[in-house]
Amino acid sequence: MKIITMSEMFIHPSLFFILGGLLIPFLRGRTKQSYMVAMALLAFLAVVIMPHGTYGIYEFLEWQLTFGNVDKLSKVFAYIFCIMGIIGIIYSIHVKNDGELLAAFYYVGGALGVTLAGDFLTLFLFWEIMAFSSVFLIWYRKSEFSVKVGFRYLLWHVTGGLILLAGIIIKYNLSGDLTINHFPFHGWWPTDLQSLASFLIILGFIINAAVPPFGAWLPDAYPVATVTGAVFMSAFTTKTAVYALIRVCAGSEILIILGVVMAIYGVVYAVLENDARRLLAYHIISQVGYMVAGVGLGTQMAINGVVAHAFCHILYKSLLFMGTGSVLYMVGTTKLTELGGLYKTMPRTMIYTIIGGLSISAFPLFSGFVSKSMTVAAFGEEHLMWAFLLLMLASAGTFLHTGLKIPYFIWFGKDRGIKGKEPPWNMELAMIIGSLFCIGLGVFYQPLYLLLPYPTNFKPYTLYHISETLQLLLFTQLGFFFLIKKLWCENSISLDTDWFPRKYAKVLMWFANKPLSNLEYNYIGEVYEFIIQKPIMRVAYYFMKIDTVVVDGAINGVGKLAMVCSQKMQKVQSGQIQHYAMIMLAGVIILIIIGVVLP
Amino acid sequence: MSLLKIIEVFRTKTMKRIAYAALILIFVIDFFIPRYEIHFFGDVIPGFWSLFGFVACILIILISKWIGRLGIMQDENYYNE
Repeated sequence: MKIITMSEMFIHPSLFFILGGLLIPFLRGRTKQSYMVAMALLAFLAVVIMPHGTYGIYEFLEWQLTFGNVDKLSKVFAYIFCIMGIIGIIYSIHVKNDGELLAAFYYVGGALGVTLAGDFLTLFLFWEIMAFSSVFLIWYRKSEFSVKVGFRYLLWHVTGGLILLAGIIIKYNLSGDLTINHFPFHGWWPTDLQSLASFLIILGFIINAAVPPFGAWLPDAYPVATVTGAVFMSAFTTKTAVYALIRVCAGSEILIILGVVMAIYGVVYAVLENDARRLLAYHIISQVGYMVAGVGLGTQMAINGVVAHAFCHILYKSLLFMGTGSVLYMVGTTKLTELGGLYKTMPRTMIYTIIGGLSISAFPLFSGFVSKSMTVAAFGEEHLMWAFLLLMLASAGTFLHTGLKIPYFIWFGKDRGIKGKEPPWNMELAMIIGSLFCIGLGVFYQPLYLLLPYPTNFKPYTLYHISETLQLLLFTQLGFFFLIKKLWCENSISLDTDWFPRKYAKVLMWFANKPLSNLEYNYIGEVYEFIIQKPIMRVAYYFMKIDTVVVDGAINGVGKLAMVCSQKMQKVQSGQIQHYAMIMLAGVIILIIIGVVLP
Repeated sequence: MSLLKIIEVFRTKTMKRIAYAALILIFVIDFFIPRYEIHFFGDVIPGFWSLFGFVACILIILISKWIGRLGIMQDENYYNE
């Protein structure tokens, strides 16, 4: 391995999270808290000073790995991921569980790694770090169902990762090149190897972007994650997927349809949902739908809109998850059927959550207004009116749920006499920062527009656009109060596309436990014993005789050594897949450290 | 606490009347807003988005509930976990 170029100015921001995180378990109290925030701030600083260009290129076996590909697109995503890292860490500095903090650090580090990756292998590496670290944010909820949900989450992401890897391998075999380049997929179905590669890559990406029918993992997992874990998760996995889609698949027409379907699908499920955090999870799908559709459109305006929307979305969605997370933390539930009347005891949390709700609904003066409108307007510009109108419809649905249903049923609605309390200072501080960003971006949007990949002179605040939005949203509100009786929730869950794998898994397990194991035990086992086992035993007996006489003496010494080693190894073999995953992750990290630091 | 009082003010009947007045105002103002870029028929009809917002909201609620009743909504213990 040798370094080809390495600028003095380029420090990979992931290092602060991936290497910096390693010290967390050794620190305590205020030192630890300040240290964590400092690491996130340093990472942000590293992004600020990062000049455009390609850095951190290493030769690894026959491949060239590029860890730092900095241009306008990767930089804007690196900015928002770092800002989100800072907010998320402030929100979680009270957490006592070092493992949870470490998982969050690696997760953010992974997202930054994907963003700056210049080749598919590096992207894949960090892609998997994200999956394997974020699953701990679910497991650390430490309930029986969180273990199950974590495994399901991992299965989806491992499957998605393998599909992506398959696409990468085919692409590499065709072109001999691993560089991440624009590689869109056209049509409905792969027709040759070239399009099969782009099909598999896009499929790998859209599983992470939670595009239906592959998106069921998201509402399954996020509401089950820890209070602070869900805040991180709401920001990173789907948005790195959006970033990857922009980079590789912009202009793949199929994404327009998938994106619009997604936007509506999230809204429909949100009507039925009783758990506030799961409702928000469905609205991630809906909002990411705008982005996926915009990527499919692929015009400069659409891509600008998608990037701006991802930027704002991370901030308001995390704010919403922080608000509902505070309710979960202080009251112990986010089920709308068990909440109500909390405005008396948690009014400030309510205000932050409503700011998030107004932002996601694209109210004028809030962040969503300057970003969502750009994406939707791009469809108007291209005269794709069906997509434009359906996205407007989804906008009404967004306000209906996040701006109205959640605040109404948690803080007003039926007063159930629950005694809440405002959350700890650090959680509130994080929500204040989030709120300031949401309002700040809605009013002073120029700095954000300057960060976008293409130059833009889009003006969100025109009279007609303000009028259009206010009418749409306020008359949605009228409809909400008109049909409020229909919106009272029920104690129910909604079946999603993961019904198929979950039911299939039950059938598979039954098949393995009953017919298959019977067959194995009763027939194959017997046959095996007579035809193979017995003759082998006989031959082995003769070998043993030779062995005991000749070889044993020499071997005994080695045997003792092996015995000692295996006793040590026994401790590692706990039989729990969480531990194995942790060891695998640690191995990958060590490899990266060897690769990045040592040369 | 003052914040609580402000929230209480928003829950009064007077506020509700003001809200309805605002709705009418927003609808009426749209008749006087100039349109520079027209993409489809909705852009020329005054008050189009008021109707769109209201109808969209009603449709979303009713259709989603209908879909939910088709078997999507199940008991919480459906998967036996």
